[in-house]
Amino acid sequence: MPDGLWSSSPSHPPGLDCVPSFLALKFFLNEMKSLEAELNPPISKKVYNYIYNYKEHLPFKLLGILDVENIPCARDSVLYGSLGSVVAGLGHFLLTSRIRRSCDVGVGGFILVTLGCWFHCRYNYAKLRIQERIARDGIKNKILYESTHLDPERKPTTDKNSS
Amino acid sequence: MAYPFQLGLQDATSPIMEELLHFHDHALMIVFLISSLVLYIISLMLTTKLTHTSTMDAQEVETVWTILPAIILILIALPSLRILYMMDEINNPSLTVKTMGHQWYWSYEYTDYEDLNFDSYMIPTQELKPGELRLLEVDNRVVLPMEMTIRMLISSEDVLHSWAVPSLGLKTDAIPGRLNQTTLMAMRPGLYYGQCSEICGSNHSFMPIVLEMVPLSYFETWSALMV
Repeated sequence: MPDGLWSSSPSHPPGLDCVPSFLALKFFLNEMKSLEAELNPPISKKVYNYIYNYKEHLPFKLLGILDVENIPCARDSVLYGSLGSVVAGLGHFLLTSRIRRSCDVGVGGFILVTLGCWFHCRYNYAKLRIQERIARDGIKNKILYESTHLDPERKPTTDKNSS
Repeated sequence: MAYPFQLGLQDATSPIMEELLHFHDHALMIVFLISSLVLYIISLMLTTKLTHTSTMDAQEVETVWTILPAIILILIALPSLRILYMMDEINNPSLTVKTMGHQWYWSYEYTDYEDLNFDSYMIPTQELKPGELRLLEVDNRVVLPMEMTIRMLISSEDVLHSWAVPSLGLKTDAIPGRLNQTTLMAMRPGLYYGQCSEICGSNHSFMPIVLEMVPLSYFETWSALMV
């Protein structure tokens, strides 16, 4: 047996010198699979989400794409849109007794009300984020520079010793 | 960092990535509404008994479905252009770091004050310690100070590569013979992972990038130790 057959580094699969290369490759791949299985044990999506995302359940996504739980303003917009859709559709039906047209009005109302609430909420949210950033920077600067010569609130002291 | 079954973007670390996340939410809401409308129209088409085989023109609906998409595109384009120009601003960087792409590793040079350069190779799977991330860990991380604007100069020694860190909203091509520039600023400390994003050979998937954002004092200590 050649020296270093079992003491070689893992990147050099043992037995490569005296075993056909495809068998060595198969052995190496099996080793990698078992190592990967040991490092990443198979767990369900729910358990992984619970461990790493601290959630009791998977996030709920409307139509599979819109995460209404985590996107700011999404939940409110969709709920107001649904309310607007029901009001518009029902109101149109009560006025005209036309079912299909009332459904169309309902869908149109949903889209318009959702979009309107979305833009209104996102605009206010953007203003709030800017104010938060200004406040955060202000607090940080106050902590850093309070009572130093860079403190803007510090009153300049007059030199009483000058004659 | 990314996690299994992930569908959305990673959490933002830089202000630019925050803006990109919000733009993504904005575009996604518009996509959701259009998808709802299309699903509704499909359900109408499938449930009607009416047919009309002699349609010659439909001026009203054609006007609506020309003007409405134009308005939607404008609503998407305006914030998109705003972020595009915001990404190109250079805000007086405090530090310059050069990164060179090789087959198949990255090398980094901190030459502002001292001559510091090192290579960053991926840690092979069999050498990982428990808890480390497969195909993402490197032997030498890029240590950078947080809450400071840093200029990254990116190029390549051989073939095309791309230096990407999704959490910071960065992806810049490393082109041989060309110097590309990007600026980064991380608002919080931590480890941020990325991978080469331009096909560059057999080990293209095995040359990750790891940024270690630390307070300035730690960065000064680290750079003094590394020199």
